[in-house]
Amino acid sequence: MMNFKFKYVIAVVALAIFASSCGHDYNDTGVEYAPNMYYPVGYEPYRQIEANPLNPMGLNMRLPVAGTVSRANYDTQFGSGDSAKVDLMMYNIPRDSIGIAERTLTNPVPLNEKTLGEGKVLYERYCQHCHGAGGAGDGTVGAVYKGVPNYKALELNDGHVFHVITHGKGRMWPHGSQVDPEERWKIVHYVQQLQKQ
Amino acid sequence: MKRFIAGLLLFCLPLFALAQDPAPAGDAASGDVANGETIFKQNCASCHNTSAEKSVGPGLKGVQQRHEFPWLVKWIHNSQAMIAAGDPAAVALYKQYNQAQMTSFPNLSETDIKDILAYVEEANAAPAAVAGAPAAAGAPAAQSGAPSDLFVLVLVALLVVMLLVLGVLLVVVTLLSKAVSGDAAAGQTGTPFMERLKGTLTKTANNPAIRSATIWVFVLLVTKALIDGAFNVGVHQGYAPKQPIAYSHKLHAGEYKIDCNYCHTGANRSRSAHIPSANICMNCHGVIKKESPEIQKIYAAIENNQPIEWVRVHNLPDFAYFNHAQHVNVGGLECQQCHGEIQNMEVVEQRSSLTMGWCIDCHRKTDVNTKGNAYYDKLVQVHNEGSKENLKVADIGGLECSKCHY
Repeated sequence: MMNFKFKYVIAVVALAIFASSCGHDYNDTGVEYAPNMYYPVGYEPYRQIEANPLNPMGLNMRLPVAGTVSRANYDTQFGSGDSAKVDLMMYNIPRDSIGIAERTLTNPVPLNEKTLGEGKVLYERYCQHCHGAGGAGDGTVGAVYKGVPNYKALELNDGHVFHVITHGKGRMWPHGSQVDPEERWKIVHYVQQLQKQ
Repeated sequence: MKRFIAGLLLFCLPLFALAQDPAPAGDAASGDVANGETIFKQNCASCHNTSAEKSVGPGLKGVQQRHEFPWLVKWIHNSQAMIAAGDPAAVALYKQYNQAQMTSFPNLSETDIKDILAYVEEANAAPAAVAGAPAAAGAPAAQSGAPSDLFVLVLVALLVVMLLVLGVLLVVVTLLSKAVSGDAAAGQTGTPFMERLKGTLTKTANNPAIRSATIWVFVLLVTKALIDGAFNVGVHQGYAPKQPIAYSHKLHAGEYKIDCNYCHTGANRSRSAHIPSANICMNCHGVIKKESPEIQKIYAAIENNQPIEWVRVHNLPDFAYFNHAQHVNVGGLECQQCHGEIQNMEVVEQRSSLTMGWCIDCHRKTDVNTKGNAYYDKLVQVHNEGSKENLKVADIGGLECSKCHY
């Protein structure tokens, strides 16, 4: 009699374990069929199945040679007849020489509705969370980060803004790796407009 | 007597004057507090607190005791020149704050600066205690309150569930004991309860109709499970792997509203959206929250020149080509359309199935934005001759096999 009940208890416990064992594991991709059809054979960005024995740290990707510049910004032409061809490829003014940038640089991107609109989009993407929608330094991150100036308290000539985006200034860190030169010049237009408002 | 009163008045006048003097000094005589507040919030608040607390620059409490007014004016107008001229106090300050240059404000007049100082004093007088108290009391409450609330909620929920289970058990026990004792009292057959139960069960199991129905239900359930399982082979929906650094999109993209493109710089320009390199993390974390153990992992990676091995969440099979720029930049899709409410995710999860059916479905439904793009003019014209529907992605080759498989 007791034995019979005991069997039932065991059956129920086993059933409970079986039912709960099918839970979702967030670290598991689930069943894959013939994964070698799915995994890349060539080198893909952000996808590496096995360590590469040839490269340091087993990486597939290697860093570009030091000093490499992207070809995209070589001989840039803005509009037709708006301005001469500008070589945006290089920016050689070092971080500590903001004065040179202020004296020598002028914005090669023509100021019109289109470039200003693009500047606004770029500003919202890269600047707004610190500098605020109106440039008052009151962005959501700026409130925590501290030390974000109000544009209206500053003198912002072309070269100054471009240099600060590229190399950073004070508490602001360099953003040259995220924003390419053409985009930086468009942001310069928009920042100067915010300052005038 | 009159003389005495006059004398008394004369004696008291300076007292009145003395008593009244400090009060207007704060607002009327030396500065307009309201104007000072506006100027302070616009120009100074980003680096200075009105209290003694340091932020980027020193806290301004008691600044008038530390420096003479003319010195302050000079400093605010052009601190760089003072440092260059070798003013000892200026050089000391410059060194104390890691050689951070204070922005010069040559446009602020002496009255403006007086207003600011008046505001700083006003903020430090009575309201400082009021403003300080809730801030001090609020911070620990917010920190300890949130987890304890959750804990209590979980406890209550557990208690309710346990009570429910207990109730159900009680009902089962009473029903069973009633059945057993009732039979025993009647004494109809005298066979024990378990044996009778066994007899009924065998009878039911031997009934051919019930038998075949059970088998059919079983077979159908198994078939359904197999088909569902087969369709989910290779589908990673719901995959939310643990990452090497507990980065929260909810905090960065949700709470702080940092644009997705700020870190995922490739989404508009290239095939992959890019996982940000450590230097982009450092744009903020080079300054703030440096001591957090999770952020220390980024520092360690940079110092050892080691890559951070993030686990890829969205894995398209090798035979399907996908390009972010084409969808985000040209198509104008929001990130959330495919990735779900990423701004609410503590851990990133694959929300969409990323199956071919899912892709095709969207290509069939989505209109192409042809406005202001001369490239599409003739295409739209030709399309409208043969169809009344808008131009969809499917009409411009969105269903071609070789678009994605080559």
